[in-house]
Amino acid sequence: MIVSQIFDMLDAGIVILDRDLVVFKWNRWMSTHSKISSEEIVGKPLFEFYPELNKSWFLRNCKSVLTFGNFAFISQKLHKYCFPFKSYYNTLGYRFDYMQQSCTVGPLRDENNEITYIYITVQDVTEIVAYEQKLIEMNIKDGLTGVYNRRFFEPRLEEEFQRHRRYNRALSLIMLDIDHFKRINDNYGHQAGDFILKALTALVEKKIRIVDIFARYGGEEFCCLLPETSIDSAKVVAENIRKQVQDELFQFKDMEIKLTVSQGVAALSKDIENAESLLKKADDALYSAKNTGRNKVVTAK
Amino acid sequence: MMTPEALDVFSDEEKDILQEIMNIAFGNATADLADVVDIYVKLSVPSVQVIGIGDLPEYLKTTIKTDGTSNIIEQKFWGNFKGSGLLVFPGGTERDLMAILEDQDREEVASTQMATLEKGGLLEIGNILIGACVGKVSELLDTFVTYSPPQVLQGDTHNCNFIVEQFDPSQTAIVMKTLFTFKEKDINGFLLILTNHESIGWLRKALKNFMDSYE
Repeated sequence: MIVSQIFDMLDAGIVILDRDLVVFKWNRWMSTHSKISSEEIVGKPLFEFYPELNKSWFLRNCKSVLTFGNFAFISQKLHKYCFPFKSYYNTLGYRFDYMQQSCTVGPLRDENNEITYIYITVQDVTEIVAYEQKLIEMNIKDGLTGVYNRRFFEPRLEEEFQRHRRYNRALSLIMLDIDHFKRINDNYGHQAGDFILKALTALVEKKIRIVDIFARYGGEEFCCLLPETSIDSAKVVAENIRKQVQDELFQFKDMEIKLTVSQGVAALSKDIENAESLLKKADDALYSAKNTGRNKVVTAK
Repeated sequence: MMTPEALDVFSDEEKDILQEIMNIAFGNATADLADVVDIYVKLSVPSVQVIGIGDLPEYLKTTIKTDGTSNIIEQKFWGNFKGSGLLVFPGGTERDLMAILEDQDREEVASTQMATLEKGGLLEIGNILIGACVGKVSELLDTFVTYSPPQVLQGDTHNCNFIVEQFDPSQTAIVMKTLFTFKEKDINGFLLILTNHESIGWLRKALKNFMDSYE
């Protein structure tokens, strides 16, 4: 039959199983990616080759299709993949151990409308997943420095503010600004300026914890949200960063660049009513650091 | 709620049979869900209503809380018997629903964001419950249907309009509503099965055959 030729030519996996989940058909795509030929696997229980599929979610889907004749959609989002096929490609800089798959399970009926077999289609969605991850990353991260962007930071600040206030926990915020950044751009060029932004964020990231949320807030202004952290501890972190930046000799090509940063620190307190006020308080402290000589940490009162 | 033409679509006897079919089908669905996939759910005796499409938005608006606090899973089915299944859960029950799926072997996706997992869980529960109920009704009517992938709708009015849009406004819809409760978990929700006018002629024939088979 003409239609049956599609079975092996299709660029997707098709598996047909009987009611006992014994393999009845295994198309060429499946053979190619699994390295198991149709001759080897047909007539044998699927779980003999893929014991990792012998799990409640997979059985539930198959049983439901066999009983109700519905379809089961095994999404990549939830399961990543059904069949562990090695993924060799590097898509947009992402490496996946296994091919990401989107699978559908459905019923096949005989002439009496009885469900005698079920099919599983397997679609390779690795590339789509890579694009999706890239898109998510681009949406929440600053393109130059790779730290979070303002779009990501603001709702997180709001969330953390609400959460910490509800549970009456300490929450601190550091605002950081590079001193005389314009001079760096003017004296060494914009490329050097970009390099400094990248080098500085890398330095700060080493000084903070994984739970802290560090973001580029504006041109040369950065924010760091420190959950479960008192203002005194936050001040220690800021002071550490200040000292490290001051001592560091930044090297870009054959240029040696020195710089300093000013920081404002604020913490959640009873009189702060919303996330915006917390940000304003830290920003005011930063402003005061800038106005009283730079290269210093000022704590909000 | 019912327009006069809508009421005329089925005779009283046909409505009784339709009701009876739903009772049997949902009973079977409950039994099979427990036996086959270990989901223990109690379904109420379904109510069957015939509603003019023009009245459907209002019906959905009053039946489903469209203020964003409901989780709605929608799945279309195709065949002689054709329409949409809508499963409605109150918001905030996602985690309990996940527990119903009780997958100890899901730690491999532990790094996935909870929201994605919860949505996946809603889709899976929706797919199984809608599939079981629609499947059993189809079986009794001696036909079978195919399905589109289920989707989660946020409970706002806009999305309900989208459900209504697939129907011809001059026509009628049959709405079957059943309440369900999961055993041991205090989650209540309801299932609506909406079928459009095209199904009605066929449904009437199927009902007659069903009736004849008992005579």
